[in-house]
Amino acid sequence: MLLDAERVIKNFGGLTAVNRVTLQVDASQIVGLIGPNGAGKTTFLNCVAGTYPPSAGKVRFQGKETTGSTPEDMCRMGLSRTFQIPRPFPMLTALENVMVGAVFGAEHGSKKPARGRAEEALKFVNFPLALDTPAQRLNAVQLKRLDLARALACGPKLLFLDELASGLTPGELDTMMALILKIRDTYGVGMIVVEHIMKVITGICERVLVIQYGTPIAEGTPREVMQDPKVIEAYLGEEVVA
Amino acid sequence: MDQKSLWNRISDGLGIIGFTPLGLVLLIVLALLPFVSPFNQEHILRWLIMGAFLAAQCVAFDFTAGYINVVNFGFAAILGAGAYTSAVLANTSPVISVQPGLSPWIGIWIGALFAGLIGFGVGILTLRLRGIFAAVMAWFVGIALLGVANNLTNITRGPMGMAPRTFLETTSNRPYFYIILAMMLIVYITLRLVVRSRFGLAFKAIGQNFDAARASGINPTLYRVFNFTLSAFFAGWLGGFYAHYFGSLTPQTLMHTSKTVEVLALAYIGGRGSLWGGMAIAFPFVFGIEALRSNLTDLPGLHLVIYGVLMIAIMVYYPAGFAGFYAWAKDKLSGLLARARGQAQPIEAP
Repeated sequence: MLLDAERVIKNFGGLTAVNRVTLQVDASQIVGLIGPNGAGKTTFLNCVAGTYPPSAGKVRFQGKETTGSTPEDMCRMGLSRTFQIPRPFPMLTALENVMVGAVFGAEHGSKKPARGRAEEALKFVNFPLALDTPAQRLNAVQLKRLDLARALACGPKLLFLDELASGLTPGELDTMMALILKIRDTYGVGMIVVEHIMKVITGICERVLVIQYGTPIAEGTPREVMQDPKVIEAYLGEEVVA
Repeated sequence: MDQKSLWNRISDGLGIIGFTPLGLVLLIVLALLPFVSPFNQEHILRWLIMGAFLAAQCVAFDFTAGYINVVNFGFAAILGAGAYTSAVLANTSPVISVQPGLSPWIGIWIGALFAGLIGFGVGILTLRLRGIFAAVMAWFVGIALLGVANNLTNITRGPMGMAPRTFLETTSNRPYFYIILAMMLIVYITLRLVVRSRFGLAFKAIGQNFDAARASGINPTLYRVFNFTLSAFFAGWLGGFYAHYFGSLTPQTLMHTSKTVEVLALAYIGGRGSLWGGMAIAFPFVFGIEALRSNLTDLPGLHLVIYGVLMIAIMVYYPAGFAGFYAWAKDKLSGLLARARGQAQPIEAP
């Protein structure tokens, strides 16, 4: 078991944003995490990745308890993530952005030079521009690729992709899905994919967890989950089900 | 062919310590200036010394402001803490209550260490704060230090000021110019080497996007505190020079926030995150300001107004500053040269 998050709870004051979410991920496994806006998907990822500690519950990563670890420690242990709104280092070049991950990430002790690993990651995601382009000149889609390359250059065992596919055209969507599968097949990385686009979920996820108001309401294969009345109700409202 | 590779090797070697061949030439010119009229006059030598003193401060300041993106508003006060430490340690005069009589040459290092310690403290204090909040916290520390220097009257004589021993017996300014020039180079080359290493990448990453830096495995505590400590260490060291050069210290003239703002303005006009930009423009600036000041004696503080206006203009219209302008001009020039060469070729070909 790569990741084992058990009954994770996160309270913000009186609001329970994540309520007893349990989720397991194996190596080379892609798990979807879906739910309506504000369901607590990103908050759950943040709790696991160390952005803030969970209020209760346990997180085990590669067999070690990591509940409440800092994001930098999680990254160095092999958990990388992309951000919902890609957050690069605007004044650095594309290559330098990815170098940050290569130099300080999980493979920081690697004998292979960081620059080579950064170039490799950019090539892997088919970064379309010159490597010395400043990040602030990139458009949203290019930023997503850059952020993905940065996360990859860290050398992850587990990768969180937070709405990586949103805002893409149908053509770009297919390329992105192929890329995600290629990452899994090449590096054997386990992934949690947060996504609103059902095509992505059904296309690449082995298993899906649905949460609503922070609480898990269904889990199973994409097909099972999408036929679940509770899920349809969560997304489309009660009348449709009735 | 061989000659060219040698040239490239020299230029690469210079690049490691942060110099271009042009920069080196300018430095040599600067080092020779005190032997050339009119720069060999004592009052103009004082301007040169002020220029190098400000230039070195700009480098140490930009190391924090231009990289981890926190404006250390307590910079001048930390510099003053180093100055006072060294001055008090060197004291032999009975006007203040302690007379350790330490050599200024040793004292400035202890002053630097003490300032570094304060920098370490400021780094820890501002750790959880971002941007403007960290700047304000550093400012408060600076104000507190100013207050301490003003009120510890039995060792600093407070606002009455103290008269630290000078480095040398001589009244000539020329040796002091070479001392501060060497100090400036040490500050610049050291910080340049740090910035070229993985530390520089970590500083920039933290400064530009705190969350993404952490998610990429960077421990922000380590790098931020290290950055503050090193910047403050050099500030304190430079403060020691000030004390033992001018031979007079008052809290107000050295540690006041307006002194930080002077350095900040120069560093910003020179180009944030370049290290060398502020250093390069400090010299012409000091000369311009001093020339203005000697012609308009009835307008005190005019130089601060000029700094302010220029800084605002730069921040609004040209945030890359002088260093950015230089990079742009160099790019344009080499482009023009390449085109000229390209056009020349077809004519030669037939």
